[in-house]
Amino acid sequence: MSDIGSDGVLAGVKELSPVQKTLAHGLVFLVLFGGWELGSRMGYVNELIMPAPTSIAYRLYEMFFVTGSIYWHYIITMYEATMGFIIGVSIGMGLAITAAISPVFRRYWAPYAVVFNVTPGIAVTPFIIAWFGFGWSSKIALAALVCFFPPFINTLTGLLNIDKDATELFRSLGSTKKQYFQKCQIPSALPIIIAGLKLAMTGALIGTIVAQFFSASEGVGILMQRFAFRLNMDGSFAALIVMSLMGLSLFTLMEYMDYKVLYWRRHSRMEEVSAKRKKQWLKQNGDMSQA
Amino acid sequence: MAEDIVISGSGLRKQFNENVIAVEDANFTIPRGSFISLVGPSGCGKSTLLRLISGLIEKSEGDLLVRSNEVVGPRSDIGMMFQKAVLLDWRTSIENVLLPDEIRGTIDTDAKKRAWDHLQLVGLKDFEFSFPRQLSGGMQQRVALARLLQTGADIMLLDEPFGALDEFTRERLNDELLRIVEGPDITTLFVTHNIQEAIYLADQVFVMTPRPGRIAAQIKIDLPTPRNIDMTTTPEFNNYVQQVRDVLSGHLDGQPL
Repeated sequence: MSDIGSDGVLAGVKELSPVQKTLAHGLVFLVLFGGWELGSRMGYVNELIMPAPTSIAYRLYEMFFVTGSIYWHYIITMYEATMGFIIGVSIGMGLAITAAISPVFRRYWAPYAVVFNVTPGIAVTPFIIAWFGFGWSSKIALAALVCFFPPFINTLTGLLNIDKDATELFRSLGSTKKQYFQKCQIPSALPIIIAGLKLAMTGALIGTIVAQFFSASEGVGILMQRFAFRLNMDGSFAALIVMSLMGLSLFTLMEYMDYKVLYWRRHSRMEEVSAKRKKQWLKQNGDMSQA
Repeated sequence: MAEDIVISGSGLRKQFNENVIAVEDANFTIPRGSFISLVGPSGCGKSTLLRLISGLIEKSEGDLLVRSNEVVGPRSDIGMMFQKAVLLDWRTSIENVLLPDEIRGTIDTDAKKRAWDHLQLVGLKDFEFSFPRQLSGGMQQRVALARLLQTGADIMLLDEPFGALDEFTRERLNDELLRIVEGPDITTLFVTHNIQEAIYLADQVFVMTPRPGRIAAQIKIDLPTPRNIDMTTTPEFNNYVQQVRDVLSGHLDGQPL
């Protein structure tokens, strides 16, 4: 009866050959966008509410390949989001590491970070604009503000939730705090830290675009708003798609980092890295069984 | 002939808070090269006693000497092994085994060679570069054993090291452990709640009883060495099992479960 069964979300979906799968995806795509296009052309959908997919596609084509007007906005937005991300993550992780090392700091200062988090970051935008002005810095500041918390709380949680036995092992081996931090705490916490970075990346993009909505002279956010104010809906939608593209590319970047860094969480990666380490070892030390 | 005593406790006591006395009035001496099993039900203080000796926790009262020195913290001649293998997932077997040398700053070709040999000794040839998640539970414990050997410690504290493994794997690993620690140099303390296992492995069994945790009996096991699984069906062996049972049931009768 249910699609969500013991075999996972897709239980009950018949297994198709790769060709059939591609065809099925194509069909769904065609019905969805063909229907939308047809609805627009035949006047069932108002172009001022939902422009036809082809008009949006044409607008995108124009932005990228005819006028090239999108690139500057694209670069600026990515720059602001990335800078905000770097600053927010540095502050968040820096505070988390301090809090993990110092119980006093954790007790008396960390609660403010939590209060700070439950305050909707977006609501601070007017202050940020007032403090940092209309230029890049206010966008970067808001992006940093919005994305600061996930790396903070995840790093702190990861550093403090170490397997008790691992801690005892390090103690029994006479490890210093620094060695324990480097060889045990940080690597143990990496998976949850990276999960925090993924959230922060999305947050940084949201922060940047919201700040651009408020006041900006450049960026995809303000571009979209200008189109919308002029009732240029296909332009607006095109800008939205550009934002999705930005989100997607940043997300892919984070996924790639996850894949590279957390090799011990995937079987295929473990095999790869294991072979690499073996080669390295043999090169350095030779085959010790022979000696 | 005075026996060479490596560990001794007298009037040793550990209290965690007002109501919990984990170890009470423990008196014992452990000669060099011996294999001691600590057996008893959960909560009888066997792990606590082990941790006191390892220096991971501090005693509340009494004397505890290792090589005639008061225990004040972890020491390099004592190595530990836990029920979980506690391997670092991001390190290959050999990198895990080399951890003690890394921490002590003694990593060199010689250390690497020893790590390699230890892995061969515990039967992990061809798994030197596997990650823990690529290994079975039994193999992970073998890596942990190799790491313990790598510390060079001659006092080994083992806290139910094979307790989470299936019976067959456990028996095999117990035999391999005996082969590795036999001889006059390595002193072993082995915590278990399995009476047969305790007797099979040990020269001497400390039977512990809970609330408060006491060493209720110290039983010398005069079975021939090397031990062999067939001995577990002999009348002598069953005699020892009965002795341990008597101590435990004598204490546990009338106690709430």
